[in-house]
Amino acid sequence: MDDSSTSLSDDGSRRSRRRRLLTFADGALLWGARSSGVLVLLMLASLVVVLAAAAWPSFRAFGPGFLTSSEWRPNELERPMRNEAGQLVIEDGETVMEVVPPEFGALPVVYGTLVSSVLALVFAVPLSLGAAVFLVRVAPKWRIAGPLSFLVEFLAAIPSLAYGVWGLFVLAPLLQDRVEPLLRSVLGPVPGLGWLFRETVEVGGQVVTRDIPLTGRDMLCGSLILAIMIVPIITAISRDVLKAVPRVQIEGSIAMGATWWQSTWSMLRYSRSGLAGAIMLGLARAAGETMAVTMVIGNNNRISPSPFAPAQTMASLLANEFAEASSTLHRSALLQVALILLVMSLFINILARWLVGGSQAHAAAAH
Amino acid sequence: MRRTAYDLYRRSLSALIFAGCVGCAVLIVGVLGWVIGYLSSIGASSLSIGFFTELPSGDVANPGGMKHAILGTLALVAMAGVIGVPLGVATGIYLAEFKQDRYILAPVRFTADVLAGVPSIVIGILGYELVVVPMGSYNGWAGAFALAFIMVPIVARTSEEMLRLVPDSYRAASLALGATKAQTITRVVLPAATGSLITGIMLALARICGETAPLLFTALGSRLLTLDPNKPFPSLTVQIYTYATGPYPEQKRLAWAGILVLVALLLALNALIRYVASRSITRSIA
Repeated sequence: MDDSSTSLSDDGSRRSRRRRLLTFADGALLWGARSSGVLVLLMLASLVVVLAAAAWPSFRAFGPGFLTSSEWRPNELERPMRNEAGQLVIEDGETVMEVVPPEFGALPVVYGTLVSSVLALVFAVPLSLGAAVFLVRVAPKWRIAGPLSFLVEFLAAIPSLAYGVWGLFVLAPLLQDRVEPLLRSVLGPVPGLGWLFRETVEVGGQVVTRDIPLTGRDMLCGSLILAIMIVPIITAISRDVLKAVPRVQIEGSIAMGATWWQSTWSMLRYSRSGLAGAIMLGLARAAGETMAVTMVIGNNNRISPSPFAPAQTMASLLANEFAEASSTLHRSALLQVALILLVMSLFINILARWLVGGSQAHAAAAH
Repeated sequence: MRRTAYDLYRRSLSALIFAGCVGCAVLIVGVLGWVIGYLSSIGASSLSIGFFTELPSGDVANPGGMKHAILGTLALVAMAGVIGVPLGVATGIYLAEFKQDRYILAPVRFTADVLAGVPSIVIGILGYELVVVPMGSYNGWAGAFALAFIMVPIVARTSEEMLRLVPDSYRAASLALGATKAQTITRVVLPAATGSLITGIMLALARICGETAPLLFTALGSRLLTLDPNKPFPSLTVQIYTYATGPYPEQKRLAWAGILVLVALLLALNALIRYVASRSITRSIA
């Protein structure tokens, strides 16, 4: 710096003022940077604390049963009272009515989230791993690795709303008109698979079994859209993980006489924890995805074993009901669902980052 | 080499899986082509000049344009950027340059990674609880808050990575000349990394442009061209969602046009960023 070569006695007060200023700037930068770092910690803490505090009334009302109850009814219900034998109670020639208070249970949405995400993984994982292997082991030889990687990253940059609109107007009608009737005519008569297309519902107090109305907006459509959305993520991270396999690993196996697949298999085995992490990051994204799923999953808070029935995930429940929740308990129950979603995604993310390790997990976060 | 049955088996298996991998790649490209092709053809046929210059008319047969929503999204992203970029870059500097704090650095880095994976709808709900409830109504500030919350961890981690690309010899040379740490960071390290830092910031901005879920319970959306952040605030994504899920065919066409504009914008932005990044990083580091 300009005055560092002058002797100490020269112009002492000016130098010491400058030095104090520089020291102050150092301290200010350190504390500024440090406080924004601590702010990141506070951000996560505030998420957990605010949601937990707001979910407290619901937790007090329902306790741990919130997770196991499958009833989600925001409004009071007035219905004819029945005695222990299941018969209507009649006084003075009229049925006695009883009022059932609102009830909230998270089981259908937890189930919907888990099943839709896992189904999405079933569709997406083989496809993504195949494409990642292609990108690492085939595409460079054919000189198309660059453009293809570019395409995959493009896909990852498309907002979920676009996939949702596409799913709503293209995929769901296609499933409704073509795919699902075909599946029903082929699989329906197969013994043991009838449950796929039939449901048991209570209509007007009577329990009936009927064909599920095929709407195209169901668990299957939700999972397919999720799969399309997580394929680019899993592919991109798996590609990075596979690229990190040392060349000797491949060359060694080829020198031993391995076929193309045998040497590829040794690569996959070598990087299995990284690949597991890539899949977990895809799962985390699928579990928290909101807009696309809300538009195509049918939004029905019931547990149905069939993928052709409408369902609901935690995120889509929040998107549908949060703005309209009028009672405190309803809002609080929704916040408890948000808290469960947060904890679940934190858990999956931590596991994924632990599996992938360092830089590749970060690359995924940027998507 | 003598061909045994096993040899035949392993070679044909290899060929089969090779074909499978090629098939996977073709399928992914095909689905991409399907989605993009559909978006472009329907979107382009619904797009007109009025989309950019008109406000919603309130008439369902002739719904007007999305000028308010485009301006709203730009304003929201700008507000979020003003809050989120300085905080994110400061955190990035902290993670990359202050190694003496290593016991705090590891948790901060980990937390930033985990925060980047939190579902955005949960962040929207946080914005509702922290901003909308105290202020008494849905408003633009809450939307900007939620978007900034999403930006900070992304900007922090990309900035950190970019600053790490600056060689340590730059820092050593600066310190050896008698510069303080603050001088080294502001006059040597940050200028060397500026190009790539901007890349990271632009990627984060592109990401929040397309966010819908965090705005549903914060900015809420509006059909008016209000740029008063104390009121419900319009945004392109929420407007598209409202139109797409609504009952009117003309509004659905408008939603398609909106999606096309949004996707084209984001893809152009991404291509530009990657092009600039590939040039600036090689230049500044090499």
